[in-house]
Amino acid sequence: MRVDVRALGACNRLAERGAGQAAGALTDLTGTDLSVEVTGASVASGEDLAEAFAGRESIGVSVGLRGGLEGEAVLAFDADNVDALLSLLPGGSSMGRSAVTEVGNIALGGFLDGWANYLGKAIDMTPPRYFEADGAAVLPDGALAGDGVFLFESRLDATTTDLDFSIYMLPDSGQFRDLVVGKTAPAAAPGADGGAGNDGTDSTAVPYESLSTFASLAKRGSANAADNIAMMTGLDTNVDVSRLRFVPLADVPAEVGVEPHAGTVFELQGEPSGYLAILFEEESAAKIAASMLPSEPDEPLGGMAENALCELGNVMTSGFIDGWANVLGTSISHSPPEFVHDIGSATISPLVAKLSRRQDYGFVIDAAIQTEGVQSRCDVYALPDERELARALDRLSES
Amino acid sequence: MSHHRSSRGGELSRERDSGRIKVGVSDLSVATDGETLTTSGLGSCVAVALVDESTGVRGLLHAMLPNGTESETGIERPGKYVDTGIKRLIGELEAAGASPRRLEARVAGGAEMLDLTDAIGPRNVARAEQCLDAAGIPVVERAVGDDVGRTVRFRADGRLVVRAADGFERTL
Repeated sequence: MRVDVRALGACNRLAERGAGQAAGALTDLTGTDLSVEVTGASVASGEDLAEAFAGRESIGVSVGLRGGLEGEAVLAFDADNVDALLSLLPGGSSMGRSAVTEVGNIALGGFLDGWANYLGKAIDMTPPRYFEADGAAVLPDGALAGDGVFLFESRLDATTTDLDFSIYMLPDSGQFRDLVVGKTAPAAAPGADGGAGNDGTDSTAVPYESLSTFASLAKRGSANAADNIAMMTGLDTNVDVSRLRFVPLADVPAEVGVEPHAGTVFELQGEPSGYLAILFEEESAAKIAASMLPSEPDEPLGGMAENALCELGNVMTSGFIDGWANVLGTSISHSPPEFVHDIGSATISPLVAKLSRRQDYGFVIDAAIQTEGVQSRCDVYALPDERELARALDRLSES
Repeated sequence: MSHHRSSRGGELSRERDSGRIKVGVSDLSVATDGETLTTSGLGSCVAVALVDESTGVRGLLHAMLPNGTESETGIERPGKYVDTGIKRLIGELEAAGASPRRLEARVAGGAEMLDLTDAIGPRNVARAEQCLDAAGIPVVERAVGDDVGRTVRFRADGRLVVRAADGFERTL
């Protein structure tokens, strides 16, 4: 299938609105404020998903969809949080499973309202089915099949209690798939595009197989970056998570969070151009820098640490984008590192702003890399220009 | 519990809290019941806080880029841009009972965080000053520029608390 990036933006926007309505419905029901943390579509193979969900236990509710959309939507939350959830519900823990089912039903109904309006067709929900699931079994049917899928995921957070919900939807077939490939409403993708680029030269349709190839490339890049940390520090370093997601760019700073971070940012030049940020929480930054220095620095994040982090950033970035040029058949280089040390979201917001001049949504690669021994962890965010990436991926499918 | 409209996509505000409304990036919100409006992680982005003291109606914008009027997305997501965001915020404040003639502004953010991203911060601040001036709204306080990230809280009393990355706090 060819995925239309603008149509994908429109779908993401619907999912975002739907999640907002689900949060509103849950807020009214529980009296606890819930907010939509992030909505995105991830590109992942069944194998990757199984790995990402390994060890997680979820409880939740699934509904079958008929009419305007067909398939399955799932509302799930972490089984560890079950008591927190029940304490919020009318009737409390005595209600248990039926309360959870009711919550799921109401929230998913809210989520689907927006889609029904957009499609101009009613979406019928089958009665909610309560489930308790291990690992990736929580995901809608079909998620683990085939080479890869788009999984729409919205995360809802309670602001005052420790409670996360996820809503999953999968464009496995039929109408939802038509929406994503841009068949249903090719021109009606408000906000999915920067307004420029309708000159006919910019392709926004990307073969799904190319996206999947790029996701693997990004994963390999993350592993290279981790290997380079290991080489520089002599410490075992591994990739925890590596994801390729399609998200609203405005949500990226919030994902980085408000904790102080230190690290490096780079401009990527070539096709695709874009930005790359390597961010450590302060303590992690100081630990990893110290592991590279011959003696303990006077200041944990002073000039010596800054130099060390810049050098580390350089080799990580080279490793990360190594292979892109070969696979995509383009040439990609990166700028010298720029050191950042500030509120996490503030360090990444200028990069997001710069890209947002041309796009509201984008493919974001994020990876979490963990260094053993010193317990240091960093997050890598790669933000490629959407049109240039689409062009490169389109060419990839032809070669 | 009251519902607050958010202009980002027109849905309900993305976060509500008893007494706290969180404004995201490219977002704007209005408070009429004494809630604290907050926005975090202002780097090159700019926050514009408007208050009509006589009614207590306040609004906060977290804009990312200076100019949106020429762009389609300026209309779709007015809060993304300083100019369209200010215009929409004034409109929403008026709808909530504020008088545009009594509004006063406090501006924060617009830092020059990176050499890589040519002066987006200062241009955001300049655009904000220009748009507010054109609307006849005086800027009574500002904490802008430099290379420091900021987080702000817009209190019920109309004062804007600006906290820098190093924890230093100023009340404007």
